[in-house]
Amino acid sequence: MVRQMSIIEANKLSFAYREAEALRDLSFEVSRGSFLAIAGPNGAGKTTLLNLLCKTLKPKSGSIKIDAVPIESYSTKALAAKVAVVRQEVLPVFGFSVIETVLMARTSHYNQLGFETELDKKIANEALEATDTAQFALRALGSLSGGERQRVFIARAIAQNAPILLLDEPTSFLDLKHQVGIYDLLKTAQLEKGKTILAVTHDINLAAQYCDEILLLGADGNYHIGETKDVLSPEQIKKVFGVKTFVGRLGQEKIFIPLGKFAKGSRLTVVEPDSNKQKNLWHMPP
Amino acid sequence: MEGLLTPKKLIIRFVSALIILAAVMFICSFVGTESISLKRIFGPADLQTAVNPDYEIFVHVRLPRIILAAIVGAALACSGVVFQALLRNPLADPYILGISSGAGLGAIIAVLSGLSWTLLGRSPIAVFAFAGALGTVWLVWFIGSLAQKPGTIGLLLAGVVVNAFFSALIMFLISVAKSQQVHATIFWLMGNMAEEDFLVLWLGAGCVTAGILTLFYISPQLNALCFGGDDARSMGVNVAATRTIAFAVAAFITAVAVSLSGLIGFVGLVIPHGVRLALGPDHRQLLPIGAVVGAIFLIIADTLARVVVAPAQLPVGVVTAIVGGPIFLILLIKHCRKVGWSGK
Repeated sequence: MVRQMSIIEANKLSFAYREAEALRDLSFEVSRGSFLAIAGPNGAGKTTLLNLLCKTLKPKSGSIKIDAVPIESYSTKALAAKVAVVRQEVLPVFGFSVIETVLMARTSHYNQLGFETELDKKIANEALEATDTAQFALRALGSLSGGERQRVFIARAIAQNAPILLLDEPTSFLDLKHQVGIYDLLKTAQLEKGKTILAVTHDINLAAQYCDEILLLGADGNYHIGETKDVLSPEQIKKVFGVKTFVGRLGQEKIFIPLGKFAKGSRLTVVEPDSNKQKNLWHMPP
Repeated sequence: MEGLLTPKKLIIRFVSALIILAAVMFICSFVGTESISLKRIFGPADLQTAVNPDYEIFVHVRLPRIILAAIVGAALACSGVVFQALLRNPLADPYILGISSGAGLGAIIAVLSGLSWTLLGRSPIAVFAFAGALGTVWLVWFIGSLAQKPGTIGLLLAGVVVNAFFSALIMFLISVAKSQQVHATIFWLMGNMAEEDFLVLWLGAGCVTAGILTLFYISPQLNALCFGGDDARSMGVNVAATRTIAFAVAAFITAVAVSLSGLIGFVGLVIPHGVRLALGPDHRQLLPIGAVVGAIFLIIADTLARVVVAPAQLPVGVVTAIVGGPIFLILLIKHCRKVGWSGK
């Protein structure tokens, strides 16, 4: 069998909510084992695209193929074996524990009695270890912080053992440390487990650091896809987001800082962490 | 992973609960206005009348009523569990989608029409209530699916509206009815146990057991549904089928319960929460244990209803509300934080 390079192929996808058009003639391919960021302004159809890729929504026209098979011909269970989804902040109404939540990814593999097999438990445990959530396995989901909870949902997605992970703004509620933590986790899953990862994000800097490719969706229906370093340019960002950015370079990485009306200038000053001037800015306790 | 539910753990807990249920049934069958004793039940019949009064009371008065309470309690508890999961709403109970008002409307129509036939040993009130309950759920389901395809908000709103509308109709019919008919209706609306013959009990027990087994069979899917339809679907759960089966079965066993005993409140709200707070939210455990606990609860409540104002009797619905309310509050205060049940 010829190994398929593209694990996801979208061809001329269009979608509209009643009158409001969300996506128009979107075509792209995602190669196996790559990390794709999906970025764009609010209302550009990023979450819609994610929902199309996991069959929560049906496209108005166009087609999606997962592993060269049209998405319509997958059963719910078969699709779950290919695609795992991490949505934005879902909390169950009742207090399931972390391990119960992660094991739920195995629901369609339970034995005849409706219980987890040893294999299910092993897979769930590995997912907990991989996401560094094993230490609170027995705690209720609701008692965790946002960052911890997000890691649990990523653990659940990993436990589903699907080659494709879709994430909807996985870091939008998290502080800097946890944002980086989540992306480290995803990158590890990509590199070590060969997962194909698609993450909707507003953070183009993190996308530039971690993702191989970026799909930039414009609100006008235009889109750009390619390697992050090619797609992300100040002109492109101005065009798509309608905002001016400052571009700097940090080693190999480009960094973008949005400049609003009241921005105080566009000359980047590199602040040395150990300089005396920097220290003086801190109010040290005597 | 010692915190996980295993089949062994579930069976041990379920059997323990069953033993407690048997003990409660045994004890409650000896509580009542007439005192009976085990020795006399199995003793010889009265020589003059050739009947054993203790045996007659035990088999034809106490036992049927206790079995009836067990069936109704189990059905309402399981139905409450399922509606709370499906609507993702801790305030849901078996009556939330209008079953109560539909059944009530059916019952009052039966009372007013003065029919006097029986069907499978059931009075017209029971038959009309059953039909009214199922008809209303279907109507609510239909309106809800028109309003908003997969969501639960449309369904809840449809339930509220239909409930309000049918309640208004009930009030209208009550206000034009004769006082004797009104009394019969109100007694029914408050939830009431009576001594039923064994055909009715077997039928009821069969329907409710089959329903609970079906719900247990889909309980892993119900767990996943607590995270919402989209999440459950992406975990490989057939959401539409699970929802439809769960709704239909929960509505059916509620209708059976309502047609057996009228509108008994609180069981379907308190028992699911109590069991969930004590043992966790896993439906594989919540359904079987909830069924047994619901049965135990309603047997005790009905025994109280029989004896508290003896020789008169209270409607059991009054007892469940008076007993259930405080129990629920204590459980809530004690365990809410520990389980993190509110989500935050």
